[in-house]
Amino acid sequence: MLFNSIEFLLFLPVIFVLYWFIFNKNVRIQNVLIVMASYVFYGWWDWRFLLLIFLSTIVDYFVGQKIYSHLNNKAKRKSWLYVSVAFNLILLGFFKYYNFFIDSFIDMFSLAGYEIKSIWTLKVILPVGISFYTFQTMSYTFDIYYKKLKPTKDFIAFMAFVSFFPQLVAGPIERASNLLLQITNNRTFKYEQATSGIKLILWGFFKKLVIADSLAPIVDDIFANYHTYPASTLILGVCLFSFQVYGDFSGYSDIAIGTAKLFGVELMSNFKFPNFSRNVAEYWQRWHISLSTWFRHYIYIPLGGSKVSKLKSLRNIWIIFLVSGFWHGANWTFVFWGGLHALFYTPVFLMGRNRLYSKSVIAQNSILPTPIEIIQILITFILVSFSRIFFRSPTLSASFDYIRRIYNNFSYEDYMHPMGYRMLDFYIVLIFFTIYEYLIRKDERNPFKFNSPYVRFFIYTIIIFSILLFYDDNVNRSFIYFQF
Amino acid sequence: MKKFIIKTSVYILLILVMLEMLIRLFHLYTEDPPRIIDEYGVEKRKPDHNGYSVTGNRNQNFSEFNINKDGFNSYREYNPTENKIEVAIIGDSFIEGFHQDYNKSIGKKIEDSITEIEIYEYGYAGYDLANQLHLIKSYKEQFKLIDVIVIYLNYESDLSRSKYTPNTDRVAMLSSNLFKIRDNIKLLSFTSKIGVLDPVKAFITGKAFTEENEGGYKTNEVDQVEKKIKRDLKYLNNFISLVNLYGYDKDKTVMLLDSRKTSSNFLAYCDANNYNYIDFASTFENSKKPTTLIYDWHWNDHGRTLIAELLSNYLKRKLNQKINE
Repeated sequence: MLFNSIEFLLFLPVIFVLYWFIFNKNVRIQNVLIVMASYVFYGWWDWRFLLLIFLSTIVDYFVGQKIYSHLNNKAKRKSWLYVSVAFNLILLGFFKYYNFFIDSFIDMFSLAGYEIKSIWTLKVILPVGISFYTFQTMSYTFDIYYKKLKPTKDFIAFMAFVSFFPQLVAGPIERASNLLLQITNNRTFKYEQATSGIKLILWGFFKKLVIADSLAPIVDDIFANYHTYPASTLILGVCLFSFQVYGDFSGYSDIAIGTAKLFGVELMSNFKFPNFSRNVAEYWQRWHISLSTWFRHYIYIPLGGSKVSKLKSLRNIWIIFLVSGFWHGANWTFVFWGGLHALFYTPVFLMGRNRLYSKSVIAQNSILPTPIEIIQILITFILVSFSRIFFRSPTLSASFDYIRRIYNNFSYEDYMHPMGYRMLDFYIVLIFFTIYEYLIRKDERNPFKFNSPYVRFFIYTIIIFSILLFYDDNVNRSFIYFQF
Repeated sequence: MKKFIIKTSVYILLILVMLEMLIRLFHLYTEDPPRIIDEYGVEKRKPDHNGYSVTGNRNQNFSEFNINKDGFNSYREYNPTENKIEVAIIGDSFIEGFHQDYNKSIGKKIEDSITEIEIYEYGYAGYDLANQLHLIKSYKEQFKLIDVIVIYLNYESDLSRSKYTPNTDRVAMLSSNLFKIRDNIKLLSFTSKIGVLDPVKAFITGKAFTEENEGGYKTNEVDQVEKKIKRDLKYLNNFISLVNLYGYDKDKTVMLLDSRKTSSNFLAYCDANNYNYIDFASTFENSKKPTTLIYDWHWNDHGRTLIAELLSNYLKRKLNQKINE
């Protein structure tokens, strides 16, 4: 079930009413409802994949108990952790990476001059959100292993934690210490929390429907026909893709966080205005935060983090970026994309500037950014957008072709929208969007933080009006990150 | 909770009111003049209406229409007499022309080119050959005085039936209170036009659950050819039936068609049986500028100019012939 579908529009109020009016006797009953709703939500795509979630839930529930029962026996604790990691990675590996490995193996042999027939390639369908929920359940066993969390005995609560529908298919990837704790505790309806949820949902829909969906046909056209366009259009395509993927994914996250708030649950922030990052390190503190912190907590720090030699820290950084790239998809383009980010991150790290902006935003104490900040933001945006050529292209050779075409055909031509729409409309929206995000840059959880109720009302109206003005029923409204 | 529900409902209501005002202010909604079926059974617009037709979410195409006393979108009234030269152009939405200003229609362009004639445009969205021939027969007194009749024939959609029956159900539905409410609440009319309500409609009607997978069954090439042959045969038979049923003045009437979309068998039949036609395929093919609108498939101003030029040339030849006779 997509957030931006009529089914969800009906599903959400029904579950909301049931949750607060019928199933409100105690938290266990509410959790039963959450599990049922989540399984319906997920099963709407393909009910057969419910089995995978259920299996993952059972395995990690029991492994969690086992790890805890061997808390003082490190070897046994570790072996049970390996069971959890192996199970989840096998699940992920089979459904997401099986064909990739087979094809890469065949390609490797064909490069060496041996032709192998691909009899092992299978028609495997990628279950929606598998990368998200497997990582979330693994965080549970990791946290128990690192003695940060006690396992829950409440199986229903654990099921609700794994399958919590607002964030099940595209995150934020929650930690058990945050989400499971809320799920096991009593929840009461809070007016402020619910209104804040509605506002985030509205803002998420704006980002998805106005920014991401309206740019999608342009980006699709440019990347599909890049060999016919001049450099100006190709650069435009890359920049617009940056906005599209940001609008799409952060829009989803906002809707997820907002929806969770309606059920009295606070999810972690996933995006903090990454387009205003002053270097690549800051960008990664603001982009897909739940994944980057996952890698930091469960890979980077166990490897020694920054407490080892500079060279080893650098190795660790490269590992998490390459793994992060690979997490995104079974394609060398994503690995290359991760590698590029590691490359951009390296000088920032070596200069000791990787934590410089971790506690501040652009123009922290002023209205306007300084010229230096503007230059920093532009450079970061260019680097990140450049890396997205690899993220968006279907193959590595297509990515390099795209780049080659930019410098071989360095010319300007007006770009015409594939459906004939006026491009100016989209530029205006992007300018207003960027200015508005700048205005609210200090609080990603409250996009309408204006004192005057009239101003707030005006903004709500404009946002819904914009959604109508840019609504396009020809656009495929699925979310980009569902493929991961 | 009570406060949340009340406040959210009030906000939603106020926002809907604001949206209604904004949509009216920017005239984002399109107007659809009421439809009627007259005493002859001819489906047309309710006479004496004017307004604006809008395409796209952001007023991408904005044009004025004027429904005359005869119930058709035109800059003029229709008063045929014996001492004038009148030409009737009959067709579907391409001739009705809600996508253009009514004073820039094909008819107006022809009149600008040949000043001594009057063009009567009988256009109505959805007209097929059955509608067209039935209209000529029903208004036979008027058409007796009209000198030339041009029938716009869209082969792919205009020959699917062999007899005209007025679509009373559709007209009744569009005149119902439900549709009147939709037309008066501009927010509804706008959201309906841009497709926002389509998923809701599909959900209510159950189509959302029954639609077939597009990537599923596909007919093979042999099936397609057989299907096409059957369809062409049916269309030709329908044409013959319609002509027999409602009559067809071969001297006065000419069809305007696009041979790229018309069956060669049908064209051969027309040639063999002296049914005149004007083919605009090569004119459009040779055009260096686009001939259709960006946002829909109707002819744009350039496309209409080309059609008008073709018709003007034909009419000039026809007039010269008449003078020589």
